[in-house]
Amino acid sequence: MIDFLAASIRIATPLVFAALGGILSERAGVFAVGLEGMMLMGAFGAVIGAWASASDLLGLAMALAGGAAMGLAVAIVTVRYRADNMVTGLTVNILAAGLTTYLLHVLAGSSAIQVDPLGPWPIPGLSAIPVLGPLLFAHPPLTYLALLGCAGLSFLLYRTQTGLKLRAAGENPEAVFVAGSSPMRLRFTAIICGGAIAGLGGAVLSLQQVGTFTDGMTGGRGYLALASLIVGRWNPWGAAAACLVFGAAEAFELRLQTYGVPVSSYVVQMVPYLIALAVLAGLGRSTKLPAAIGKPL
Amino acid sequence: MSDALSATPATRIALRRQGLLPRILGAVLLSFIIAALLIALTGHNPLTAFAAMLGGVFGSPYQIGEALNRTSPYLLAGSGVALCFRAGVINIGADGQIAMGGIGAAGVVLLWPGQPGLLSAVAAIIGAALCGAAWAGIATAIHLGRRVHEVLVTLLLNFVALLLVQLALAGPLGQPGAGFLQSRPLPRADWLWRAPHVFFHGGIILGVIAALALSVLLWKTPFGFAIRVTGQSRRAAAYAGFSAAGITWGVMLTAGGLAGIAGGTEVLGLHHRLIEGFSTGFGFKAVTVALLGALEPAAVIPAALFVGLLESGALSMQRQIGVPSALVVVIEGITMLLILAATVRRA
Amino acid sequence: MAALLEMRGIVKCFGAVRANDGIDLDAQAGEIVGLLGENGSGKSTLMKLLFGMMPPDAGGIVFRGRELSDHNPRMAAEAGIAMIHQHFTLVEAMTVAENIMLGWQDAGWRLKRREIADRIRETSRRLGLELDPSARVGDLSLGRRQRIEILKAVLRDAELLILDEPTSNLAPPEVAELLAILRHLRAEGKGIIFITHKLPEVLDVCDRVVVLRAGRVAGFAPVAGADRATLARMMVGRDVPAPQNLSGSGTGATRLSVSGLGGAGIGPMDLTLSGGEILGLAGVDGNGQLELAETLAGLRAATGGSVMLDGRDITHASVSARMTAGLAYIPADRSSTALVRGMTIAANLMLRDSARPPYARRGWLTKRATQTRAAALMQGFDIRAPSPAVPAGRLSGGNQQKIVIARELDRNPGLLIAHQPTWGLDPGATHFVMERMLALRAAGAAVLYISSELEEVLAISDRVAVLAGGAIAGIMPRGGVDMAQLGLWMSGRAA
Repeated sequence: MIDFLAASIRIATPLVFAALGGILSERAGVFAVGLEGMMLMGAFGAVIGAWASASDLLGLAMALAGGAAMGLAVAIVTVRYRADNMVTGLTVNILAAGLTTYLLHVLAGSSAIQVDPLGPWPIPGLSAIPVLGPLLFAHPPLTYLALLGCAGLSFLLYRTQTGLKLRAAGENPEAVFVAGSSPMRLRFTAIICGGAIAGLGGAVLSLQQVGTFTDGMTGGRGYLALASLIVGRWNPWGAAAACLVFGAAEAFELRLQTYGVPVSSYVVQMVPYLIALAVLAGLGRSTKLPAAIGKPL
Repeated sequence: MSDALSATPATRIALRRQGLLPRILGAVLLSFIIAALLIALTGHNPLTAFAAMLGGVFGSPYQIGEALNRTSPYLLAGSGVALCFRAGVINIGADGQIAMGGIGAAGVVLLWPGQPGLLSAVAAIIGAALCGAAWAGIATAIHLGRRVHEVLVTLLLNFVALLLVQLALAGPLGQPGAGFLQSRPLPRADWLWRAPHVFFHGGIILGVIAALALSVLLWKTPFGFAIRVTGQSRRAAAYAGFSAAGITWGVMLTAGGLAGIAGGTEVLGLHHRLIEGFSTGFGFKAVTVALLGALEPAAVIPAALFVGLLESGALSMQRQIGVPSALVVVIEGITMLLILAATVRRA
Repeated sequence: MAALLEMRGIVKCFGAVRANDGIDLDAQAGEIVGLLGENGSGKSTLMKLLFGMMPPDAGGIVFRGRELSDHNPRMAAEAGIAMIHQHFTLVEAMTVAENIMLGWQDAGWRLKRREIADRIRETSRRLGLELDPSARVGDLSLGRRQRIEILKAVLRDAELLILDEPTSNLAPPEVAELLAILRHLRAEGKGIIFITHKLPEVLDVCDRVVVLRAGRVAGFAPVAGADRATLARMMVGRDVPAPQNLSGSGTGATRLSVSGLGGAGIGPMDLTLSGGEILGLAGVDGNGQLELAETLAGLRAATGGSVMLDGRDITHASVSARMTAGLAYIPADRSSTALVRGMTIAANLMLRDSARPPYARRGWLTKRATQTRAAALMQGFDIRAPSPAVPAGRLSGGNQQKIVIARELDRNPGLLIAHQPTWGLDPGATHFVMERMLALRAAGAAVLYISSELEEVLAISDRVAVLAGGAIAGIMPRGGVDMAQLGLWMSGRAA
């Protein structure tokens, strides 16, 4: 059981980062369909950075940069040139897939790049508590950071002037303008920072969990993160909870496989997507999107 | 009614009215320049690489056929996507619709064996179209019925369809003991017609017919007129008496059916069996060729041909001089971003 | 005592139109000045100039003893002028307190939520605003939202508040509460400019009234001693225009009969139109005009009552069925409802008839017949463009409207609903539109002419009705128009 919960947390962590990045972008008024590409670039940057410099910190910096670069592309095309958010996001996902595959091939040829994955940082004292210790206090560093990220983003959104303006940019940009700020600049900043954060989610997948990068290793997690942030109503903690549900679904699937339960694993793998669809359809009309999302300035 | 319309979350896509062709060509050119830089990064001469690409495509009739076979699903699915975008419906579910079409075609042939060749092939294509349309229909029902953005619905359904293919291959259609997920081979009698010497299959012909037919539909019929008006202004469409829901159903089912046929021809004409993940990424290619063709179904023909040739050329570039063929995906992505920035606005 | 605000000799021209033609206006601290005038009299322009949204062509503004020139809205706000628009720039998904803190220095980067909430409560109590800082704006009535804007202005130390038609979206009890709030503000020494059409409110709350007409000050008076009739005449300001064409009016059989029609924004109403009659529907914008027009045209659902056209019940008929029944509609929103700007003139001429001959035969669009028809209509309705293949969006407003009129009249309708058909048109095009309406009437059709331009309505109608608060306030025949009565009907429920 502890294993199962710990696995859920492990699987949810990259989703949480991506969802946080997506919340930033969508709260400011731009759909975050590009999360998948931001994560992928982050995953790639992290491994390449850590491999080239032999420093995990530089790896993380490269993850931030990779995600931010994709965010910049989205920001320019959607905010500056007012293009459709959805199609732009998809395009960025494809671009990231192509770029990472190409660059990986160029840098490493056909051999894989291997780095040491980030090890767990057990918190002294707390990790020795039975049951709770291994479950909550013996994770690798980025998992704690995801938790801090939820708290930090909540604080930013709800407790600061910046957060107020950011949310207003997604709800009623005219109000931001009247209040003396540029909604365009806010959106730009939010998308780029969101991209960087989603990039960290990619770093969790590559640098923290396996220590290598493989083509398309995000495997649709960006879209699940997108679904979780909608289900979590654009609220960091809500989105994190939704990510945990998806994580649990996947952990459950792994369990079933291990124990050879005669349920087709393909059916089980569908579950996260079906949950997402069912919840979105269930929310339906009651979904309160930021009012000005997808609308160019 | 006005309320319901303004509540529709659909983002409506619009193209600039003027200078489309030079802008699109400019975008393609610029992305090739960026690609050249990326090639130079690897220490190769970009011109040599591009020459290898070109030589790869036109080097032999076989390679031309291979390029046309790549073009075929992009054309079939892309012309349908162009129709959807014209109506302001952002259908990015071609991946899943193609996958379902593959299941349909393989299912008809494998589960209903022993039919005369022609009947079986026609039934397989029809089955593919119906499965693709049904998958698009599910997306449409959720989108219109529950007001979930069509991009989210079609995206999530893509993943489900992909897994459905795997499920089918692990179950009724699969070849046990193959070591990986694939169906039993289709009997030779059911294979799609192939051109002699050049070896392209019938899908490309269906694709050209479909694109031309959609072009006629769009420009020569009242329904096409209604699609164009709906895509430009939902308020004007309501004023003209067109039902946005009806139009959405019409374009989604048409596009789904065509994508289904694309999946069917991949199975019947190319792989001769259903294989895991055969449709992955086709949905985005469909969007790419639709926009590259400025959402004009007839113009999707050269656009799809261009992408098909590019990809097949890239493979031989990789074989000959070792520049990774993933470069094509980068070119496609950058071209798309440039086209989006230069031509596609939210209406 | 020096005036809080002095505006002298303000001139602003838009092309040939002199929107402000030498206007003087002043306001004292602790005074409410009513600014009265019809649509297009120049009130909004004057206030935009004051708030720095555009520069005047001539004239000067002095505020609190300092010359205001080349200013922008931010500078105006910093100087102490607050503008409370008809539509609010509030974020509905946020709370009252969040809206007030948005962009406000005093709130701090790390929001001082408790301190600000206390200040909101305190000021709200003092002024009688009854605002709860934690309420979500989207849940509040329009009246409450307006108070947030007022509170915002007061907290940011505004000395002069401009309220643009502040009562137009309010229910009667809220109007009374707003007026009480304005009195509180006056007592605290704020200057207030109150822009309105509505006479009862002016008489109720203002100290002085300035009446604008056609870009000039038509009159000014202290409110004490003024009466409604005088002010109404000042505002409407003219004798009844000479009738243009009264022949054959209202002689046909009943064509449109509306009874008890209700829907979102319109109360149950009855209306009857005969063939050969133009019924002019006057009234201030936003009193249910759009809702009525769209309900009749089938773009909004009716929730009650019935609509009969030439004896057929079309209450729940589709848009196409209504067209077949003989209903034509010219929407007020020309640019995205009546026309598709990106499509050609020819396509716009067939917009609502695309599946019928001559535009389509046996399921196919007929290109040649369409071109011929388009050319004929362009000639017949004097649509000036090089060819029918030109996108409609490239034409002038007048030519665009001619496309709409050509399309709607070409169907030989039994009933035409025309909503603001002359909006934004030059005099020539306006004349053209009027002529067409009269010709349609002469052909025996019924016309419902909805416009907030009273002069136009009077010039063209056989009968004049006034729409106020989503209901018909009254109807009178063209022959016996009583201007004062019309003014009272238009100015609201008090009539």
